[in-house]
Amino acid sequence: MSAPAPARAESPRPTAIVRIADAGLIVACLSLAFGLLLVFFPVSFPRILLHSWQTGHLTMAMMVITLAVDASLYLRVTYRWSGRPTALAAACLGAMPILVAVGLSFLLQIVVSETVSTDMPNLQARVNEEILAHTYLGLVSGVFLPFLVIRLLQPLKAARSSRPA
Amino acid sequence: MMADWMSLKWLLWISLYLVLGVLMPWATSLAWAHQHGSDLRPRPRQLFQRGELGLIGMVLVISVIWDLLRSPYMLQTRTLGAVLLGMAGTMAGAVWIEFYCRHSTGTVCSSERAWRDSRNLAFLVFSMATVVEILLDRFAKVAGQ
Repeated sequence: MSAPAPARAESPRPTAIVRIADAGLIVACLSLAFGLLLVFFPVSFPRILLHSWQTGHLTMAMMVITLAVDASLYLRVTYRWSGRPTALAAACLGAMPILVAVGLSFLLQIVVSETVSTDMPNLQARVNEEILAHTYLGLVSGVFLPFLVIRLLQPLKAARSSRPA
Repeated sequence: MMADWMSLKWLLWISLYLVLGVLMPWATSLAWAHQHGSDLRPRPRQLFQRGELGLIGMVLVISVIWDLLRSPYMLQTRTLGAVLLGMAGTMAGAVWIEFYCRHSTGTVCSSERAWRDSRNLAFLVFSMATVVEILLDRFAKVAGQ
């Protein structure tokens, strides 16, 4: 009977390091796509967004889009650098896009009601433009902010883990 | 429906920043090399390898925030946009600062990484600035009616 093979000591995979520039590239592409849609479909694209907002689907759509983009970007980063995903990053990526979308939805409601209560001409068009701007800012912040928070927390976590017990 | 050409003035505006901020330094370096009979032929990647693109992004953000704050958008929208633009600009500028600090203190620093980070974040700032200027242009038309 042969001797058992020695157990191979597996070195633990390093924690995935998120660079804000990776998120920046994706947000830039998303932003550019939004801008191109605005330029080439200046009437129909805002109308679709307005209709989604009126039917109450805009916030949900923003949540789905930002969550999908965040998750795919984080998986890409971990795969590219062969890093180990962390619970903190997963929690941040899972919660923040939802919080951002809900928070901005409340903010948009306040903005719309304040706009309607003013005595300015062309109110409907103003409300449409506010919705358009909030949709854009919501998409950007929903993707960018979670990665910014992860990036800012990374040095703190590294310092805590390197501190002697 | 295509936008009319007058509504594409944001393209001219962003081109000014690209020409004066990126192409002009590069052309100046080539002109300097030609004048001094040098073999120097720097590519933009070499010229901005210390993260200077991030600095250009930060300068661009200042003018967009200024335009946004003077716009007829509601206060909440202006604040949100200004904060987001400010954060993107700060992160872009931080690449240049970080490279400088690392280089000055002898900490490990990679010009490859500084170039990549500053390029990505400058692209982010330029695309955000472009979309915000498009939105401002649209709102100015609505408010002017």
